[in-house]
Amino acid sequence: MRGEGCGAMRAFTAPGETLRTALIPAEDLPRWLPWTAAAIVALGLLLLVIELRRAREARRVLVTLSALCAAAALLGAVVRPQRLRAREVNLAPRVVILVDRSRSMALPSNDQPDGEPRIDVAERVARELRGRVGGRVDVVAFGVGAPRPDSIDGPPGRSALARADLAGSDLAAAVHAIAERHDDPPAALIVVSDGRVELGDLAERRPPFPIHAVSIGDGSPKDASIRAVHLAGAAVAHQALPLRVEVACTGGISCGDLSITVRELREREPNASGSDTSAVLATGTASVRDGTATIELPITLERAGTRAIEVALSAPKDDAIPDDDRRLLSIDVARERVRVLHIAGRPSYDVRALRTWLKADAAMDVVSFFILRTPGDDVNAPDEDLALIPFPVRELFTEYLPTFDAVIIQDFDAEPYGLTPHLPAIARYVEHGGGLVHIGGPNAFSAGGYAGSPLARVTPVAIPRLAADKQPADATPFVPVETPAGRGAPILQDLHAAIGDELPEFPGANVLGDLQHGGVALWTHPKRTTPSGKPMPILSIADIGDGRSIALALDSTRLLAFSPFAAKSSGRGFDALFRGLLGWLMRDPRYEPVRGRLVHEDGVSPCLAGAKAALRLEASPIAGASRLRAAIAPLEPPRAQPGEGLPATLDRELEGKPPLVVPLGLAPSGSFALRLAVGEKGAEPTLGALATRALGVCERGGDEWADPRPDRATLEKLAKASGGVVVKPGELAAIPTPKAAVVALERTVAPLLATWAWAALAAVTMGAHWFARRRSGLS
Amino acid sequence: MHRRHFLGASTALAGSLLGLRARAFGDEGAFEPKILLAGGVTGAARASAPARWSAEVERRTSAAARRTPRAVKATDSTLLDGPFAYWSGTGSLSALSAAELAGLRQFLALGGLLVIDDADPASGAFGRDARRELARVLPDAAPVSIPDDHVLYRTFYLLKPARPWGRVQVTKTADAILRAGQIRVIFLAHDLGGALARNQLGTWEMTVEPGGDVQREQAIRFAVNIALYALTTNYKDDAVHAPFLLKRKATQP
Repeated sequence: MRGEGCGAMRAFTAPGETLRTALIPAEDLPRWLPWTAAAIVALGLLLLVIELRRAREARRVLVTLSALCAAAALLGAVVRPQRLRAREVNLAPRVVILVDRSRSMALPSNDQPDGEPRIDVAERVARELRGRVGGRVDVVAFGVGAPRPDSIDGPPGRSALARADLAGSDLAAAVHAIAERHDDPPAALIVVSDGRVELGDLAERRPPFPIHAVSIGDGSPKDASIRAVHLAGAAVAHQALPLRVEVACTGGISCGDLSITVRELREREPNASGSDTSAVLATGTASVRDGTATIELPITLERAGTRAIEVALSAPKDDAIPDDDRRLLSIDVARERVRVLHIAGRPSYDVRALRTWLKADAAMDVVSFFILRTPGDDVNAPDEDLALIPFPVRELFTEYLPTFDAVIIQDFDAEPYGLTPHLPAIARYVEHGGGLVHIGGPNAFSAGGYAGSPLARVTPVAIPRLAADKQPADATPFVPVETPAGRGAPILQDLHAAIGDELPEFPGANVLGDLQHGGVALWTHPKRTTPSGKPMPILSIADIGDGRSIALALDSTRLLAFSPFAAKSSGRGFDALFRGLLGWLMRDPRYEPVRGRLVHEDGVSPCLAGAKAALRLEASPIAGASRLRAAIAPLEPPRAQPGEGLPATLDRELEGKPPLVVPLGLAPSGSFALRLAVGEKGAEPTLGALATRALGVCERGGDEWADPRPDRATLEKLAKASGGVVVKPGELAAIPTPKAAVVALERTVAPLLATWAWAALAAVTMGAHWFARRRSGLS
Repeated sequence: MHRRHFLGASTALAGSLLGLRARAFGDEGAFEPKILLAGGVTGAARASAPARWSAEVERRTSAAARRTPRAVKATDSTLLDGPFAYWSGTGSLSALSAAELAGLRQFLALGGLLVIDDADPASGAFGRDARRELARVLPDAAPVSIPDDHVLYRTFYLLKPARPWGRVQVTKTADAILRAGQIRVIFLAHDLGGALARNQLGTWEMTVEPGGDVQREQAIRFAVNIALYALTTNYKDDAVHAPFLLKRKATQP
């Protein structure tokens, strides 16, 4: 295949077939050899002419003729000429038109807020280019990853957001993917974009074809936007995280001072107190000079896991693009250490076992407060002889409570030790993401005065009120019954591995009511029932708002650590039980049934409002999970346009191996709480506390709208590096026509003489030349 | 409902239902100085001391305690009913049998705390033999002296001076075997049980020398501290207590 022709852009006609004949050197010779041989022969003839001019008596005609014959024969022996006969066809050049379908193409193409969207202009340009180029034209869309075939003739009426629906503008990846197709590389590539693209190494590495560009957009409306949000390092719970926010004002808008607010968006419990569960983490004022400003806002996130953060600016009145006034971030907050507050109403072997376990873990930061003396105790000593300190209940539950990842209340009577006034704070702490473990005993649950209290609101089970005819505990020894949920829950898998399915006999349990808040019972009482007639929960868990809560109606789990029963497993049962409980409370992925996140329908890039969203499900610890149930709830009312909305619930069969991408529909702009439950074949996964909870965000513009201005300079940089040109939509004729490709349909090659004949002819003619020279008196 | 009333009620209920079962809800984690029967020991050297120990713990602290501690053989699985055992005696011990060695080894491996109380420190035979047998139970662990800043001396009372106390004051220190920073075995040569022992009429059974009642009170406080160590381990070592305790020490004469 070879190229022909070059000039201003014109349409190619239908390919025509031609017959071509030619004399060519032997095809096994290197290209340089025939030319070298010809040059040597020419040099020899030149020397002969000089020689003959000096030798006046020589027979010049004879010598010259013999020399020419010998030179021709010698040249023929070297290049062995062949006759070529070829039937060829001229093919139109292959041209690839790359249409930018990233979200920035949904912005106006001029400085009017209601200007024609860039994607409309781009599609029109692509259609015109296709008509001008004719022949072989591929129109592909680029955005994230490899380019995909594009339809610029799609049905009318689709919104610009739906057509500019990709979350990135990775032009480098698209060009590399096209260049790597060796079977039919393009003769030229034409990028139709606003220039907000990632060039990667394209500006440094010249691609094997020219890249032209049509620059879409010649202005942007008045706009104040959050240009970027930078996190200085990884987010770690309880540690200040510097947040650098860059804002910019473009299009001639007057900004001055802009106030910036950073909020954490939290899941709201239906029965929670207060009207707003989001928390303002930081505020500041950015003074815009020369159109930009940067502000540092340190924030501290108290809860580990994925957290939803909103960074918003207060935009001036004539701001044209309100969606880029806020950024929604999904931040993964790591936990360096787990901070646990352990309070116990009295010392006991159960307290000893739990404290020993907590302190044995170097990654656990434990603050303990045990009530060692009651008002009725006779210590027989003055206070200075006692190693007792006041229970700092006020400081703990007003000042320090948010700094703890989990609070363990073990057999603690709320009233005498001043805990009752702080129960609302503990409830809010749980609703806002904290973890709570309420462990039984004679002073726990009903006996501890928790019935009807705010703490009861964040407990997985109802706490019955004390009555004269009702005991707060049942002192009948029993062996708990593991529920089907408990048998399948990752939270108890370590316990099963340590002790099997058998549980020890416990000496009694606190009396509890029915499950609440979607709580799940993992163990139940074999005989006692709740008011609704269901088995009484012994170990139950629940997701409460943004936090998690566990109720354990036993006072003797230490039997898993120290008892004849525990000896059979070297006491590993206690460790396994509490590792699972605390791990679930801290949202350790090992104890979640599945991991999932809200993404773009491509399964990789971030979710974009106005584009199709999907659930990406990662590996599940439940082997063979084949059914998914999900619930999706907004953390705040979403900003939805017509046709946008995620399903509130989902029930799907799963096929294939993780990661799996489950399509959801057009996403609105906002932050969402996802609850995901998977089940084995035939099982019915439930969306209770055993479901995985994740947070996800969908932005309408995201990074693509951070700077809404078109960027022609980037396209010029690209064109310059590749030998292309950049034009406006009205200048398409200025794009050079790429070279046509010639393809041989049939080709035959035959030698003029056999190799030996060329050699013999050369020998004979050289001999004749030698004879002529001798006769002429030349040496 | 007050905790002790509740305990009593629930224990009574369980007892009536189940024929006086040993355990009951709320009582399971109570302190119990179980009397260890091993090496020829057939009971506590001071028979009333364990019950008195429980009574003092209940009277002085918020902890529950069993008023009638059980005597358990080292070979009996009931040794593992609670992580505390009290081994006292006055004379020589016979060598522990293989079953006794295994029982004690299991008790300590699970995290149990064993207090060895030589009731006749003048002869020292029991203490010496107990150390010999413990060396067989835990051959890779050697006793070390308990420093005076150890948490054992401030788990409930700030002992002044910080040292072991008992009926006699032969030595000012006690030894212990530690595992992972926790005391597993305490060797006392002070006849702690002798200072606690009290007959049914409420009369102290033995005189305390040389400090009399003051020394006895210190011995009782030491016993309470040991019980609280068994129930809370090194709780009073937590950093949150340090400023309070330092302040309290600073005010001492």
